Formats: sequence, C-alpha cells, structure tokens
Amino acid sequence: MRGNSRRPRLSPSSPGVKTRRFCTHGRQRECVKQRVEIHKLRQGENLILGFSIGGGIDQDPSQNPFSEDKTDKGIYVTRVSEGGPAEIAGLQIGDKIMQVNGWDMTMVTHDQARKRLTKRSEEVVRLLVTRQSLQKAVQQSMLS
Amino acid sequence: MEDCNMHSAASILASVKEQEARFERLTRALEQERRHVALQLERAQQPGVGSGGVGSGQPLSMAWQQLVLQEQSPGSQASLVAMPEAPEVLEETVTVEEDPGTPTSHVSIVTSEDGTTRRTETKVTKTVKTVTTRTVRQVPVGPDGLPLLDGGPLLGPFADGPLDRHFLLRGGGPAATLSRAYLSSGGTFPDSPEPHEVPNYGSLSRGLGVRPPRGGPLGPGPGDGCFTLPGHRETFPVGPEPVLPAGRSQPERFQAEPYGLEDDTRSLAADDEGGADLQPDCGTTARRRPDCGRGLRTRACEDGADDGGELREERPLFPAATAPLAQPERGSLGSLDRAVRRSPSVDSARKEPRWRDPELPEVLAMLRHPVDPVKANAAAYLQHLCFENEGIKRRVRQLRGLPLLVALLDHPRAEVRRRACGALRNLSYGRDTDNKAAIRDCGGVPALVRLLRAARDNEVRELVTGTLWNLSSYEPLKMVIIDHGLQTLTHEVIVPHSGWEREPNEDSKPRDAEWTTVFKNTSGCLRNVSSDGAEARRRLRECEGLVDALLHALQSAVGRKDTDNKSVENCVCIMRNLSYHVHKEVPGAERYQEADPGPPGSAAGPQRRRRDDASCFGGKKAKGKKDGEMDRNFDTLDLPKRTEAAKGFELLYQPEVVRLYLSLLTESRNFNTLEAAAGALQNLSAGSWMWATYIRATVRKERGLPVLVELLQSETDKVVRAVAIALRNLSLDRRNKDLIGSYAMAELVRNVRSAQAQLRPGARLEEDTVVAVLNTIHEIVSDSLDNARSLLQAHGVPALVALGAASQSVREAKAASHVLQTLWSYKDLRGALQKEGWTKARFQSAAANAKGAKGTPSPGGFDDSTLPLGDKSLDGYSTVDRRERRARGSDPAGGSSEKEPLKTEPSRKAPPPGPSRPAVRLVDAVGDSKPQPVDSWV
Repeated sequence: MRGNSRRPRLSPSSPGVKTRRFCTHGRQRECVKQRVEIHKLRQGENLILGFSIGGGIDQDPSQNPFSEDKTDKGIYVTRVSEGGPAEIAGLQIGDKIMQVNGWDMTMVTHDQARKRLTKRSEEVVRLLVTRQSLQKAVQQSMLS
Repeated sequence: MEDCNMHSAASILASVKEQEARFERLTRALEQERRHVALQLERAQQPGVGSGGVGSGQPLSMAWQQLVLQEQSPGSQASLVAMPEAPEVLEETVTVEEDPGTPTSHVSIVTSEDGTTRRTETKVTKTVKTVTTRTVRQVPVGPDGLPLLDGGPLLGPFADGPLDRHFLLRGGGPAATLSRAYLSSGGTFPDSPEPHEVPNYGSLSRGLGVRPPRGGPLGPGPGDGCFTLPGHRETFPVGPEPVLPAGRSQPERFQAEPYGLEDDTRSLAADDEGGADLQPDCGTTARRRPDCGRGLRTRACEDGADDGGELREERPLFPAATAPLAQPERGSLGSLDRAVRRSPSVDSARKEPRWRDPELPEVLAMLRHPVDPVKANAAAYLQHLCFENEGIKRRVRQLRGLPLLVALLDHPRAEVRRRACGALRNLSYGRDTDNKAAIRDCGGVPALVRLLRAARDNEVRELVTGTLWNLSSYEPLKMVIIDHGLQTLTHEVIVPHSGWEREPNEDSKPRDAEWTTVFKNTSGCLRNVSSDGAEARRRLRECEGLVDALLHALQSAVGRKDTDNKSVENCVCIMRNLSYHVHKEVPGAERYQEADPGPPGSAAGPQRRRRDDASCFGGKKAKGKKDGEMDRNFDTLDLPKRTEAAKGFELLYQPEVVRLYLSLLTESRNFNTLEAAAGALQNLSAGSWMWATYIRATVRKERGLPVLVELLQSETDKVVRAVAIALRNLSLDRRNKDLIGSYAMAELVRNVRSAQAQLRPGARLEEDTVVAVLNTIHEIVSDSLDNARSLLQAHGVPALVALGAASQSVREAKAASHVLQTLWSYKDLRGALQKEGWTKARFQSAAANAKGAKGTPSPGGFDDSTLPLGDKSLDGYSTVDRRERRARGSDPAGGSSEKEPLKTEPSRKAPPPGPSRPAVRLVDAVGDSKPQPVDSWV
C-alpha cells in the first residue's frame, strides 16, 4: 500500500492519502485528499469523463445525499459510469471534488464546475478529491 | 548634421559625439591641471616618496597610473596605497572614455575588503567606456607619508577636478574659487602638523563625515566627479559604513537605496526592524499601517484618497525620534538622515570651509548639463535633498525644477530617466499639493505613463507607479491619471500581476497574484482615483479587465490566506468604491430595477437576463423568477443564472462576490480590508435593484450574517460602523431582518452601551459609528414586533435612554430617541415597558428632542449617511465620506486610536452570548420549495 502511494495515478485500492489543511468557508478543517487523474475518452465528437456531478454554490446543498455537512455547496460525484474513464481512474460516487486541474471547485457554481471539467482542450483532468471513506480510514488509523 | 528638427538616431549620435568631444577636451584640461597640482605638491611635500608615477606626468590619469603601477609591480603596492591596514573601505568606480586612436589595455583591479585583488582587462580599440572599480581602503592617507599622492588620484583629479571644471563651464564662479582653494590647500599642507591626515584627505572625506564612493555601478565618467559632490557623497549610505565595518557593503544596495526609492525606502528600514507588529510584506504597507491605525481616518471606502494611497502619511510615522534613523545599526540611514537634518551644505561648510555643496540652483542647473551622468546624479542628489524636506521641495518648484525633471523622463538614457523619476517621487510626496499640480502642469502624468509603458526595469516601474500613487491623492489629478494612465496601469501592471488571464483555457493552472511593489503602488493609485466620483467609477468599471483582474487577485489572496497585505487592502477598496452606486451607474441598470412594491412586471428585465441553462436547472427557473412577490419572501429566492460567465463590471455585483467578501471578513486582520469588505457588502446590498436583492439573500445563504455580527465586536471603530450599516442594508430583506433582530440585537445594544457607558474620552465609539448602530437598530425594530421585543430583552431601553440623556451629540440623541419612539409605538410592548418602570414621558421627551420626527421617522430624523441607498435617493455612501473627511481632518489622529484598547475590554472579557448563538443558527434555512438537484454528466 505504502509503496503505491507515490504513483501519480492512483487507484482506489491504493489511496495515496495526504493530509492537508485547506479551507472551506473560511474555516480550517483537516481533510484528506486524493489525486485522481482521468484521461478523457473520445466518444464521437465529445470527450467524456464518465461521471456526473451535483452541487455548486447555486444549488441547494441540503439535497446533496453525499455531504456530511448539509450546507456544503461543494461539487460532488453523483454517478460514475461503469467502465468509464472516471471509474478506471478510481473516482467514486460521493467524492467531493476539491480542485480540477488546480482550479478550486469548492466555491463555484454548478455550471462553472461542469465547464471546467469539460474543456475540450484538455484531454487529461487531474482532480483533487476528498471522500469520507478515506477520511474515516485515516481517522481510524490515527486512533489505532 | 545636427538637425534639430529630426530627432533621429543620427542627431542623437551627433550630440553624443559632441559630448564626447567635449569630454575629451575636459579630460585633457583636467590632466594638465593634475600635472600642475602634482608638481606643486611634489614641491611642497617631502621629496619623492613613490612619486615616480606622479612625476612622469603622463597624459594618463593618475588613477590609471596607479592601477597600472599596481599591476606591473605588485611590490610597490604598499607604497602606493595603504590599503590593507586601512579601516575604511571604499569602492570607487571610474569610467574613463578613452581616445579611440590608442588601443590600450585597461586593467581594472578590484580589491575587496579582505584584501584580495581581482583584476580584469579590457581591450579597447574604439571609443569605449571602461568602468574601473577600485576598492580602496580609505585611510586618511598612507602612513608612509603619501598623503597627496594618495589623495591626488583618488579625490582630487577625479572627483574634484572635474567638478570645478564643470562649474567653470557652467559659469560657476564660486566653483572656480573653490578649486583654487582646494589646490592651495594642497599647497599648505606642510604647514599643518599632521598634514597628511587632515587637510588633504581629511578635508575632503573627513570633513564630510566619511567619504563614500561615487556612483558605484553607475559608471560615472570623470566628469562624474563634479556631481559626486560632498553632499552627494554624504548621501551615500556607505558613508557610515566604516564606522560599522560589519555592515553590508554591497555597493548596489547603497546605490539603489538612497536615491532609488523615495522616502519610502527609508522606512523600509523601519520595516526591517519593526517587523514585529508591522507587516513584513512591503514597505508601504507597513508604513501606512500605523498611520491608518492611528488616524483611523480613512474611510477606506470612497476615499482611498484620504489615507489612501498617499505616501504622505508616512511622514509623521518616523519623526525625528523614530527608531530606524536613530539606531546605530542603521548606519547608512542614519547618515542619510543626518544629511537631511542639517542641510548638507551647512554641514560640510562648517567642517570644511573650503568645500561646499552645490546650491539648489546649481543642482537644478546640472539637470540641464550636457553630460548625462551629471544629469542623473543631479537628479539623484535632488531626490536625496527632498527627502522629508518640504522646504526644499517648495524651492525646487519655485526654481522651476519640476519641468526639468519631467522632461528628463523621456531622456534616452535609462539611468537619467530612473533618477529623474526617483526625484519626482519624492517631490510628489507630501501634503503640499502645489508640487503635484506643478507636475501635472508640465505634462508629468503622461510622461510618467509613457515611461511606465517603455520601462522594463522593475525599479523604474516601482518608481513610476509610486509617483503616480503620490500624485493620485490630489483630487484634481485623479481624472488626469484616469485619462492618461488607466489603460496602461491596468494592462501593464494590474492584469499581469493579478494572475488573471483572459483565456484561462490555455493554462490549466490558475495563476496566483503577485504582491509586488509595483502592484501595490498601482492598486494604491487606482484606489485613490476610484474615489473621484461617478465618472471615475464609470471609467474604472468599464476599463477592460480591471475588475476581472482585481477579483482574481482577491480570490487568489483568499485562496492563499494572504489577506492582510496592503495590495489586498487596495484591491478591496477599489472594489468597494466601484460597487458604490452600482445600481444606478451601471449601464443598463434600469432593466434590473425593482419597482418598490415588486409588481410582477418588474421581474421582466431580469428574466431576460437570466436565461437558464436548461440542462442544469430544469423547471426551477419559472418559479423562482415568477414575480417580485416571490422575491420578497426571499426564502425561495432563485439566484440568477446566466449563460455566459459574467465579466467586467458585471462581476462587481454577482452574488458570487459575496463569498469572496465574506472570506475576507473572516480571515483578514487588516482593519482597512475588513472595513472595505463590509463596505462593499453595504454598497451592494443597498438599492432597489434586483441584484441587491440577490446579494442580500446570498449573504444570508452564505452564512454571512454571523460573520458580520461577530465583527460588531471589532475593536476598530470604522469596522463596526461599516458592518452596522451593512447590516442595516441587509435587513431590507425581511428574512434577514428577522434573523438580525434575533441574533444581532444583543451585540448592537452592547455597542450602544459602550457608546454611552463611559464618558471618558477615548473610550467610546465615534459619533458616526454610534449613529450608524442606532440607525441599524431602528431599521430592524421598525415593522417588526418581534425585533422590538428582542430589543427589550437585550436591555436596550435603559441603554438608549441613558445615551439619549447623556450624549453630547445631537445626532446620537436624536437617533436614540427615534428608536425609543418606534418602540413606544408598539402598543403591545407598552405594558412590558411600564412594568419595567418606564413612563411614556421618557419616550415622549426623547421624541420631543427629535423635532419633526413623529411615529414613523422622517428622513430628517435619520442620519442620511446610513440610509440604505435604495430607500431614499441619497448619496449615502459618499455623504459619509465627505463628512468624515472633514471631521477627521480636524480630529487629532491620536484620539481615535486611544479608544481601541479601552474598548476592547468589554468585548474581550465577556463576549456576550449573542454572537455565539447566531453563529450556529443565524443561517438561513434553505427555502422550503426545493428545486431538484442538478446533476450533469461530464
């Protein structure tokens, strides 16, 4: 497990877990982030990533089934298509997308996030995501 | 050849050639004189110590001889110069222009402090400038009794000889005598007991304190000597160096510091040291910080000007006693300081009667000198003279020096441009606006902007922007700067330094803003000009890329948690200023106006505007924008959705900015930034247009209300005021009003109480702030029985009554009585009030104070400044400003700062329970009619 953590591209089985401080809402929290690199797939004219997103600052956060904090307006992965690029790269349902290619995704509208992800000029998308399972795993490992 | 009409390269070349020829002539004459002196000295001195070089009287300059000698026979070194043992080190740079005809090999030898010698050889085949840098132990002359020899080459011919020449050339009678005097002094050496030390070297260097190097990297020619005048030398901070041998000795530093940067630079030193509480980030910031703190005079708002950009406020910051200059380590600065304090000419005149500094008119005349380095050094010297010296600045203006300097901004030589700009920076600084006006009158602003466009050198850009910042504090110049410089400042500085990119697609990484001095200066300048009224705001808003870049910079600041620095402050202030009256001034604003009662039709405009992205927002839109009624409820407020991203000034009032301001309010510890961010929210939430409605709702939804309420505890008066007014505007939203009434009341009342509790001077809030708080209370208790009740529960009545009775301020008493009156108007509350022992008379008498205000408060009863802009068409914000500007002017700066510590006590010791509660609950429950969550495949 440990040995894998350096690979640039991470698979879900070997989470390259990093603990970092970052900020949402002006408050500091400890968060566990993972990098996911997705190579887009060409489907006809489109480049697809193979997942769907929900959330955004213009959306109602209380309806987000994935967030722990129901006021969190972040962008979440709502679905991942089977065998798609996102799944291959290890993205999971419920992941919260923190950054896309370095762009902050914690305070963007739904549409901004969508556009950021679907840039035609970019064949590779590097995501920084955080996921609760990861977080819990880290917490447990720190407790034990 | 010399075609005056054609400013072609040819003509420039010609003039250069002419200068060179002149130079040659000078050099020749110089050598003759030197020979003469040498002979004289030889005769006068002990015979023949190491005089071989001198005697030979070659046409080479002494320095060269020495160097050559040194090179050829290292053994003779000791006899030539007493370098190694000498305690003082000097670096001398000499530029020699050689005759083209004689290809020679020039050798420069650099002896560094540790005694090592570096030597470089330059073959010269054409007319070439060779810069020789020598490091010389600066002893008052060799112990081996070579005073004159030593002094001769080092000082006489190079430094002083040419000076005299130039003076002669310029018809400077006194200079001629001076030189004579000097020469004769040489002759009289033997008479004095310790001649080697005192008269020769000492007279020149000692007398001046220490003898500093000349231009250093500047590369001054022999002619340079003439402006390396005594005063000039003194200006070189190197001077004191010898006193502290440990000091840094990089010549670049010295060169840059004393001249390059204006007043500011000095204060940098202060920053180095006082870093503790001052910000480390940049000179200006730190420098100004204390000012702002002390003065509290800035409504950072509409008035960048006031505290704003101007560097002038620095002055009081380091009065004579201030640390940096007083400290011994600051040797270099100390010397500068000293030089400034007593006029250099007096200084040297007293110590060394045979030498004097050039008079101001002479310096100004040198600005016209045909030799470029002379111009440059004259400008540099001028900059030095002007430092903290209003008298000199005035005289420079009276002697018509400013047009000369401005003209030099377009000079072909970079060095000259840089020095001239440095001088202008100092000259433009200060309360005295006449210099600023004079710079404008001779076309200074366009010239500076031209220079900024042309300059690639960062230092020049710093100087130019610094000068513009200084100029921008002068009201009549603001529009001039906008006219000539807005585009350039935006595109040359703001946009590139902000990290914003027009086409972010290219680069996958967003760039961060760089908080450079140039950016800080430029944003300060724009901050100042942005306060020049509606037209200025319009120009800035419509300047392509400006708002986008500022926003990007701020976002990057928030992202990096770097929100305390001056650049951020400037940016927020610009944003705040540009947000002012945005609902009236933005093109097409009419379309967004909401008729007050919110008739359905009014939403038509917005509707067109916010076309939904169907894929994202299914059926939701129809409901959200149904009509104004809906918006009135605010619970189901539908934020506008747009197809293309907002850009330019539209960004100012997009609900997205709310989060930015709230982040700043949460994170920044810079009071001015806090105030400006609160002011921006205040501006945006005022007015009756659609966007204000959205902003008010967004603040709530972004959990901004707790943030704001918390800031009511701020120890800084102006922050409290801005926040109070913002809360008042926000409470135009019914839902906000309820929330604020429930959760902010305790805090507001606490402010009232602290306003009246102590009549000790300095312990209370300023009048404006108290009035703002009272008006906010009034606003939230009007039309809301619940809020009136919570005012009662918060024990607001005793506080208000006491304030009304005790306050010396009519406005405060009036505002308090309005609140009481409103309270009494709730019949339901009367019982409770009477139970507490209050009688109608209390409220009535209070009401009586406020004449003309019955039942519903008339506009007259309000303090205009705090009115939400939408309500009454009052220029609320700027009213605040104007008034403040006046009031502050008369206010002793210290007064307000005294308050702070006292005021903190109540808030620090016992944080009232109020704010902690709202922190949890003051968040809007999201509307009940929930839109379907949007989900997009990517």
